[in-house]
Amino acid sequence: MRPATPWPAVPAAAWGRGLARSAAMAGALRKTTGLVGLAVAENPHERLRILYTKILGVLQNIPKDAAYRKYTEQIVNQRFNLVQTETDVQKLQDKLNSGHIEEVIVQAENELSLARKMLQWKPWEPLIEEPPSDQWRWPV
Amino acid sequence: TVRPKNEVEQKQLCAFGEYMAEILPKYIQQAQVTCFNELELLIHPDGIIPVLTFLRDHTNAQFKSLADLTAVDVPSRQYRFEIVYNLLSLRFNSRIRVKTYTDELTPVDSAVSVHKAANWYEREVWDMYGVFFANHPDLRRILTDYGFEGHPFRKDFPLSGYVEV
Repeated sequence: MRPATPWPAVPAAAWGRGLARSAAMAGALRKTTGLVGLAVAENPHERLRILYTKILGVLQNIPKDAAYRKYTEQIVNQRFNLVQTETDVQKLQDKLNSGHIEEVIVQAENELSLARKMLQWKPWEPLIEEPPSDQWRWPV
Repeated sequence: TVRPKNEVEQKQLCAFGEYMAEILPKYIQQAQVTCFNELELLIHPDGIIPVLTFLRDHTNAQFKSLADLTAVDVPSRQYRFEIVYNLLSLRFNSRIRVKTYTDELTPVDSAVSVHKAANWYEREVWDMYGVFFANHPDLRRILTDYGFEGHPFRKDFPLSGYVEV
């Protein structure tokens, strides 16, 4: 999918964060994410590391040939490598190109809950039931 | 004037449709892209909650916003009602349509557990078409009068109704 830049929180928040970053020491806390309801995460690398390890653990229980497992492992490993190699939060956000680091954390939590639900639903099995032949014909 | 064809977007949507069909073969019966670059996924009714949860939570498909929930009545089919979900992804700026089918008597799983926005939309579909949503927190009439009998948007409901007002 073509990732578009998130809208409209980035300009104002990036300005505030950028100024605060350059003013403060490297590694100092940001004041705010600029998004309502999302608190600044202290130690995001640790949190992401835990979440990605948990997701990979859940994915181990899915059959190896399932497309969901293949693609999700690809995404998670890619992000995991970026998190481990890049220690600066601002540069990590730019490399991931997926909004604030807090949003990346929320997304990882969603992916974890989705992986757990996929274990129960097993969507890699073949189609449950074919539709009637005229069901999807348009015009009728 | 004619809208110029956007081949790039068409290809991206086709690729995404194939991606979806590969990950969820159990529920997706068909995936199609219209000539106006609109992706549609045609689903078995058992797969509403899995597919909607996947579209909301997966990293490559963050369709967090339910824009619309409607139904279409085609009386000549065996499953006459077609439930349509329109989703919007804010992260990737793209839309997708998910369609299921049911008849008058079979209940359909409610999408409220996945998207809170579905609450009143499902009440409207119940009121206008008569499609029952299982596990809906509060399924009652929303647009018709209190003692109204019948489901007005069905094709066999006459234009001026049964009761003289």
